[in-house]
Amino acid sequence: MVRGTLFKKSLRDMRKSKAQFISIFIMATLAVTIMTGLDSIWFTVQNNADAMYNATNLSDLWVTVQNPSEQDLWAIRKIDGVTQVEKRFSTDADTDLPGATLHVYALNDRSTLDQPEIQEGRFSKNGAVLDSSFAKVHNLKVGDTISIKLDGIWLQLPINGLAISSEQVSVVKNSATLVPDPTIYGFIVIHTSALESVYGQKVYNQISVKTASGTNLKEVVQKADSIIGDKLIGITLQKDSTSVSNVNGRIQQFKILSLVFPILFFLVTALITQSTMVRLVENQRTQIGILKALGYSKGSILWHYTSYGVMVGVLGSLTGLILGPNIFGRILVPQLQLTLSSYRLHINYWNFAFALLLILLCTGGISFYACWQLQKDTPAVLLRDKPPKKGKHIFLESIPSIWDKMKFSNKLIVRNTLKNKGRLIMSTIGVMGCVGVIIAALTVKSTIVGITDQVYGDTFTYDQKVIIDPKKADSRYLNNLGLNGITQLIQESAIEVIYPNGEQKMEIITVTTIDSPLVQMKDIDGNPISLPENGILMTRKLCKTLGIDKGDSIQIKRTGEDYVPVQIIQVPYMASGQGIYVSDSYWKSLGEKFSPTAILIQWHGPLDQRFLQSDVVTDSATRESQHEGLSSSMGVINFAVVALIVMGASLAFVVLYNTGILNFVERIRDLATFRVLGFHHREIRNLVLVENYFSILLGTILGIPIGRFISWLIASSLDERMDLLGNITLPNVLIATAMTIFFAWITNSSIARKMKQLEMLEALKSVE
Amino acid sequence: MDFITFENVERVYRMGNTVIKAVDGISFALNKGTFNVVLGQSGAGKTTVLNMLGGMDSSTSGRIIVNDKEISGMSEYDLTEYRRTQIGFVFQFYNLVPNLTALENVQLAEEISPDPLDAREMLQRVGLEKRMSNFPSQMSGGEQQRVSIARALAKNPQIVLCDEPTGALDSETGRMVLRLIRDVSNDLGKTVVIVTHNAPIAEMAQTVLHMRDGKIAKTEFHEHPKDVEDIIW
Repeated sequence: MVRGTLFKKSLRDMRKSKAQFISIFIMATLAVTIMTGLDSIWFTVQNNADAMYNATNLSDLWVTVQNPSEQDLWAIRKIDGVTQVEKRFSTDADTDLPGATLHVYALNDRSTLDQPEIQEGRFSKNGAVLDSSFAKVHNLKVGDTISIKLDGIWLQLPINGLAISSEQVSVVKNSATLVPDPTIYGFIVIHTSALESVYGQKVYNQISVKTASGTNLKEVVQKADSIIGDKLIGITLQKDSTSVSNVNGRIQQFKILSLVFPILFFLVTALITQSTMVRLVENQRTQIGILKALGYSKGSILWHYTSYGVMVGVLGSLTGLILGPNIFGRILVPQLQLTLSSYRLHINYWNFAFALLLILLCTGGISFYACWQLQKDTPAVLLRDKPPKKGKHIFLESIPSIWDKMKFSNKLIVRNTLKNKGRLIMSTIGVMGCVGVIIAALTVKSTIVGITDQVYGDTFTYDQKVIIDPKKADSRYLNNLGLNGITQLIQESAIEVIYPNGEQKMEIITVTTIDSPLVQMKDIDGNPISLPENGILMTRKLCKTLGIDKGDSIQIKRTGEDYVPVQIIQVPYMASGQGIYVSDSYWKSLGEKFSPTAILIQWHGPLDQRFLQSDVVTDSATRESQHEGLSSSMGVINFAVVALIVMGASLAFVVLYNTGILNFVERIRDLATFRVLGFHHREIRNLVLVENYFSILLGTILGIPIGRFISWLIASSLDERMDLLGNITLPNVLIATAMTIFFAWITNSSIARKMKQLEMLEALKSVE
Repeated sequence: MDFITFENVERVYRMGNTVIKAVDGISFALNKGTFNVVLGQSGAGKTTVLNMLGGMDSSTSGRIIVNDKEISGMSEYDLTEYRRTQIGFVFQFYNLVPNLTALENVQLAEEISPDPLDAREMLQRVGLEKRMSNFPSQMSGGEQQRVSIARALAKNPQIVLCDEPTGALDSETGRMVLRLIRDVSNDLGKTVVIVTHNAPIAEMAQTVLHMRDGKIAKTEFHEHPKDVEDIIW
């Protein structure tokens, strides 16, 4: 245990090296805050999402099939591991609210799977349960009514309840929307009997399947596929369903960040502790001798010095443990635009313990090591005067052509820097981290801001995408549109795919005319790619996640028929709109029909309102409206950018201040000598700070690849549906460099101010 | 013609409520090119006099005039310039820069002085031509002090100030160092002021200022100062 007097001594010692110990404390706090904070985000999301999935009895997979028979249900129920099957109806529908779409789930009385989590009111036969976020933004309450359009028929429904859904935790309207927006997309749960007025009978298009835990889902999928046969539209596993995979993507994203980001801060904590403790222990050489002479045991002396690091480390960790989950978990999780039933903070105590252990290694462990060297000597040796600091000849001196031409002050700086390599490494890592983190922050922001430009400037060159009702737009109509501009017909749908590794899931397929005037496909190097006549295109991100490439073949399910193998001819890079792209001619050669679901238009004059108002058109989106959707999410991004910059700045400030101050304090006698000899403040300041300029230069250069890496890491895990490269740009690098230099300048000026107070007489008086 | 003049110089230190008069209204004058000693016990105020003369400390009141220029009341920047061009310091503990070799320590002075003497030549003069590329930690105390004398003189200052230059040396080495200071500054025509508590050293000075309790108790002039070899320590 800490002994009374020794404990007092350590407190006083720490007060003497305030700046250093505060730095260690700040770094330890930051490291643990960031680690436990990022951890608490995914842990909270995961726990709350899992709890919600359990509470609502979310299915393990869904088999989409038009009008499943009782035999189908019965056969699937018989598959090994399947515990429960139910049928339901699931589709998107327009509403009487302009621009708003609702996903409709029609359930039976006796349904127990995929239940909405009712927050207000109840689910009943003659009414609907509405998405509570959707209701809130549209000012709808229980007792109001809402109309949805199914198969061209309006259905007016009284709102009997408000709810949230496990399948709608994180969903967006379509591939053009970046973030969930309850004003344009939500869900509604109705009773299947309500469908009778539209379809004349109860209709179903999906079988929800629940399995026992540990069931081999791949086998279930294969068996279900063969049971349903040609009628199958597709099978979706829970993990591949839109909402669950988005939530998992988020969890994965923060898991990666919580592993990568703190590394830098733990490293700097260790380095600062090292430089502080080595100096402290060395200054206390005699005192260690005295303590030993007094009869203190090896262990208690070791513990005494180790406790410096341990105390600050534990204090910093505890602060971090309080700040991290509360700032990140409690404040950020509700900002992630996930609709969960609870945002209750969940704390991963194992990660807490791990963070604490790491910080103890970085502080206590390093302190122990610093002291270990000295306590081995005998008291007599320790009480003797410290051998004088040695100057050493360095390599550069053997090249007289350089060395002899250098000014003495530069010689001094070079020698001193090389003597304290550890410190140079520390401040370089700090600056490197600062530059890297700021580059990443700026890159992520400009990537997100630039998505619309990239997507709509490079890839999609249309002004407007008009969704049409395929039933009302036959080929004769489409061929005689007579619109003033360039048009392109596309068909978007989901298709069941079997991959070479046996994995089976639904993907988005886009069929379009082979000339494709308004969708410009390019490979990753920017070379244009055209739609092939004899195969398909599959986007880069999709290929990467499935581990397949150009030349591989996949099997796709044809409507009402068996699977057919198709070859991937090219792999286009598309930031948004992951999926499969085929030409209409190839599509027809597979025996499928080309029935366009949308028209892309690049207007040559004003928008043709007569066409847009016609009943063929069900929805339309302009480039501007995509922009608006994006700006709503900028708040969170700006917060993240500011947080990252603050992190980077504190990293740079702490390390540079530390190196500067240590450099100054350690050489106070030398510097006082220079003052006496008649050196001006400016000249002395340079002697101390040029070392910092070195690390700023070196750190900035090394920080650029680090920034590139972090940018890539964040960009690639930002959104499942996006293929973002996170490429750094010159302006961002320059801004990050300028900011770092600005932070460094502030730090250096505050060190210089401290140096100005140097009392040369005081410094020269005592020889210690 | 007086080269250095102190007129009623006072130096008061305030530490909280206690006021310490380190130098209590002293006046004296020293000639150019002379060898002078300020003698006194520790706490007599002699180092404060040296510091004020060297531009390392400023007086509370009174005037200090060196070479027709009043240095009392100079700005921080001007004092630095003054130290840079006019003053050479030799300390009890040498204050060499550990990271620089003997030669580089002397070149340090060469670099900032407007009219320096050759560093190698100065080291030769103090007899260290063979130790030029050694670091201070590789030299004895006497050798280090000789480097510091070379450094003080290489600046080609008007005044050489020495604070207990023999304090950390044995008597034989001390004698050698004193001789060196006197011979070299004689050759170069420098004014030397040595501060010491070691009374016998005073016998080699032309002017001796005896200090006690911040005042000059007695001023002694020697027409024929003794040679270092004749001093008994």
